[in-house]
Amino acid sequence: MNEQELRSMVERMVLELAGQEPGKAAAAVTQAPVESSSGCLEDITQTDLRRQYLVEQPRNGGAFQALKLKTPARLGLGRAGARYRTLSMLRMRADHAAAQDSVFSHVPDEFAVQHGFTPVQTLCQSKDEYLTRPDRGRRFDEQNQAVIKKTLGQNPKIALVVGDGLSSAAIEANAVDCLKAVQGGLKAYGLEGGPVLYVKYCRVGASDHIGDLTGAEVVCMLVGERPGLVTAESMSAYLTYQPHIGIPESKRTVISNIHKGGTTAVEAGAHIAELIKTMLDKKASGIDLKG
Amino acid sequence: MGEQLLSVGIDIGTSTTQLILSRLTLENRATPFTVPRVSISRREVLYRSAIHMTPLLSDTVIDAQGVGAIVAEEYDKSGFDKSQVDTGAVIITGETARKENAREVLSALSQFAGDFVVATAGPDLESILAARGAGADQYSREHHTTVLHFDIGGGTSNLALYRNGELVSTGCLDVGGRLIKLDGAGQVTYVSPVFARAGCAAPAVGETVTPERLAPMIQTMVEALEQAAGLRPGQDRLKAFLTQGTRWRAETVPVVSFSGGVADCMRHPPEQWLAYGDIGVLLGKAIASSSAFRQVKQFQGAETIRATVVGAGSHATDLSGSTIFYREIAFPLKNLPILKLSAQEEEGTAEELSRAIRDKLNWYNDEGGLTQLALALRGDSNPNYDRIRQVACGVAEGLRPLREAGLVPVVAVEADQAKVLGQALAPLLPGPLLCLDGVGMDNGDYLDIGTPVAGGSVLPVVIKTLAFHK
Repeated sequence: MNEQELRSMVERMVLELAGQEPGKAAAAVTQAPVESSSGCLEDITQTDLRRQYLVEQPRNGGAFQALKLKTPARLGLGRAGARYRTLSMLRMRADHAAAQDSVFSHVPDEFAVQHGFTPVQTLCQSKDEYLTRPDRGRRFDEQNQAVIKKTLGQNPKIALVVGDGLSSAAIEANAVDCLKAVQGGLKAYGLEGGPVLYVKYCRVGASDHIGDLTGAEVVCMLVGERPGLVTAESMSAYLTYQPHIGIPESKRTVISNIHKGGTTAVEAGAHIAELIKTMLDKKASGIDLKG
Repeated sequence: MGEQLLSVGIDIGTSTTQLILSRLTLENRATPFTVPRVSISRREVLYRSAIHMTPLLSDTVIDAQGVGAIVAEEYDKSGFDKSQVDTGAVIITGETARKENAREVLSALSQFAGDFVVATAGPDLESILAARGAGADQYSREHHTTVLHFDIGGGTSNLALYRNGELVSTGCLDVGGRLIKLDGAGQVTYVSPVFARAGCAAPAVGETVTPERLAPMIQTMVEALEQAAGLRPGQDRLKAFLTQGTRWRAETVPVVSFSGGVADCMRHPPEQWLAYGDIGVLLGKAIASSSAFRQVKQFQGAETIRATVVGAGSHATDLSGSTIFYREIAFPLKNLPILKLSAQEEEGTAEELSRAIRDKLNWYNDEGGLTQLALALRGDSNPNYDRIRQVACGVAEGLRPLREAGLVPVVAVEADQAKVLGQALAPLLPGPLLCLDGVGMDNGDYLDIGTPVAGGSVLPVVIKTLAFHK
C-alpha cells in the first residue's frame, strides 16, 4: 500500500467516524500529492529545518522564522491535535534512520588507499564487536602494531590519525579537507604532519596506544562523532600531548562540531594546526593547556 | 573570560560637542569543546560628559584648540587617563563635517584620545551610530519590525532604516534646530543657506521674529521628515531638504524613533522657546504634534541628545571572527580603503583572481605609488581545501605589487575561513600578513584594525561606511 492509498483510507475512516459521507468531503480535504513527473516523492530530508515553519495562522510568523534560523531545534512544527504532524514525524524518523545508518555503515575500504593513508584496524573484527566492546576499539594486535610503528617511526613530533568512530558519514564528508588544512597549516608554522594513519573500528583511546607504540609528542585524531538528529556528518578532533595508556581524559583537547553547518572542515583544520603548534610550544594539552 | 575594553566616543556636532567613555566586555560564547567564538557581550556607558557648545572660530572654521580643551577637561573629570583607552571613535557630524578644517581637527583629536581611536565623518556613519546608540537596531531586531530612526541635530537629520535588526538604508536631510540662530530678543543672527536652496521662505538676518512668524517654515521642515517616513504623500518637501549628494527612497514605516537634541525638545521642551537661541524648541514641538507621526508607533530610544556619541563610543567597535591569521603586523592599522572583487571575479581560477586584483589595485595607485589597502572577499560557506589553495595562490599573486611596495597584504573575508586562508597564504607571501574574517564590507568602506585582544585570538575592528549601497 503506498502512501497515497494509505492517506485516502485514513481520510475515509476519519470522515466515516465524523458521520460524513466519504466521497463528498474528501475532495475538499485531500491535498494534491507531492509527486514529481518521475513518480518520486519529495525527499523530506532535503528541507532545511531552520527554514521550515509549519504553524498555521501564527501571530507573528516572521519573528518566529527569524528565531528558528538560530537553532536546529525542531520548533514551530504546528500540531495535529496533541501530536506532531505527519511530516514532522516522518522527518524525525528519517533523521534518526540517517544517524543509525551512519553508525552501522562502513567507510569504504578504498577510502584510505585513495587518499594515501595507511590503513590499520583495532582489535575489533566487526561493527557489532566495535559497538559492544569499546575497550577493544582502543588497542591494536601485534600485526597492526608493527604497521603503526613502521608508518610513523619512532618519536615523531606529530602523528595524524583518522578514525571512523561512530560516524562513517562524518569522515567521508570532512576528514580529507580537514586534514589537508591541518597539513597546510603545519607547513605555515614550519612543521611537518608526516604520514597519516587510518584506523578502522576506532575509539578515541586508540590515540593512547599509538602514543605508547611510537612515542609521538602530539597525536591528533579526527574521528566521527556519535550522530545526532541535527546532522550525521559531525566530526571531532581529539588532540593529546604525549598520550599513553592510562592518560586521564582531562588531558585531551577536543574540537567538536566540525561539519558544514558548524565549524567548516577547512577552518577547523587551520585551528587544529595552530593548536598542535601551541601544544608543542607549551608541552601540554587538555586542561593543562587552559591555564 | 571577562576581558574588557575601554572605549571612548567623541562627537563634534553642529551645535554640541560631547564625550562618553564606555566599557565593552568580551566573552567567548562557544563551549570549551568547539572553536572559540568571541563577541562583545556588554556595552555599558561609564561616563557621560557635559554637553558643550561646539567651539567655532568662524562659520567655516572649527576651534581645534577649544575642542581639545573640552576633551582634556572631560578626561580629567571622568577619572580615566587617555592611555587607558583601548578603542573608540571620534566623529564630526552634521554641518560641522563640512567645515574647512574638519579633517585636521579629527586627526589631531584621534591622536590625542588614545592609540586606537578612529577618526571619522560622514552622514552615513553618523546615521548608523545614532540609530545604534538609541537602540533602534535592537528594537527592530527584537520586535521583528521595521524602524526608521531620525537623529535630529543642529544642522542635519540623519535617517537610518532598520528591518529586523539589519540596516536597510541611510539618508540625510538638512533639517535641524540650529539652521536659524536668534539672540535673546528673538532677533535672527544666522540663517542657514539651506532655506534658500530649498526654496523655503525664511526670515532675514536682523529681523525680529515670533514663533508664529516661524511656524510655516518649521511646518515645511516637519513635512519633509514626514515624507521621508512615507507618512505624507508627495516628495516635494523631502527633495527640497535632502542633503546634497545623498539619496533617500521613502517607504511607509510602522515604527519611527527620534534622537538628537531636537528629540529632547519633543518630549521635554523648555518653557522658553528661545532657551537655546535657535529654532530647536519649536521644531521639536512641531514634530511632537505632527499628526502624521502619531499614526505610527513611536519607539523611545535609550538615548536622545547623546545617541550619536554613545553610538561612537559603544557601537563603533566590533570584533573580527575568532579564527584569524596574522604575522609580523604593527597594530593598529588605520584607514584602510577596501578593494572588493565582484562575486563573479571571486569565483575565478587563481589566474583570473590575480588578474582581477591587479586590475583593481591600479585604482589605488596614485602619484605616490600604491597605498595600503585591504582586500575584501566574500568566501564560500563550506569550501574544500583545494579551492582555498587556489584562492590563496590567486590572492598572493594579485597582491604581490603591494608586498613589493613595502605594504602589508591585508585580506578580510566575510565567511569563516580566515585562518585556513591565512595559513595557505603564509608560505606564498613571506613577511607581514594579516587575514581576518567575520567582516562584511564594500568598495568605498574604510577599515581600522586594533591590537589583538582575548589572548591574541580576536581583532577589534571599526568599519567606516562612507558610501552605503546595499
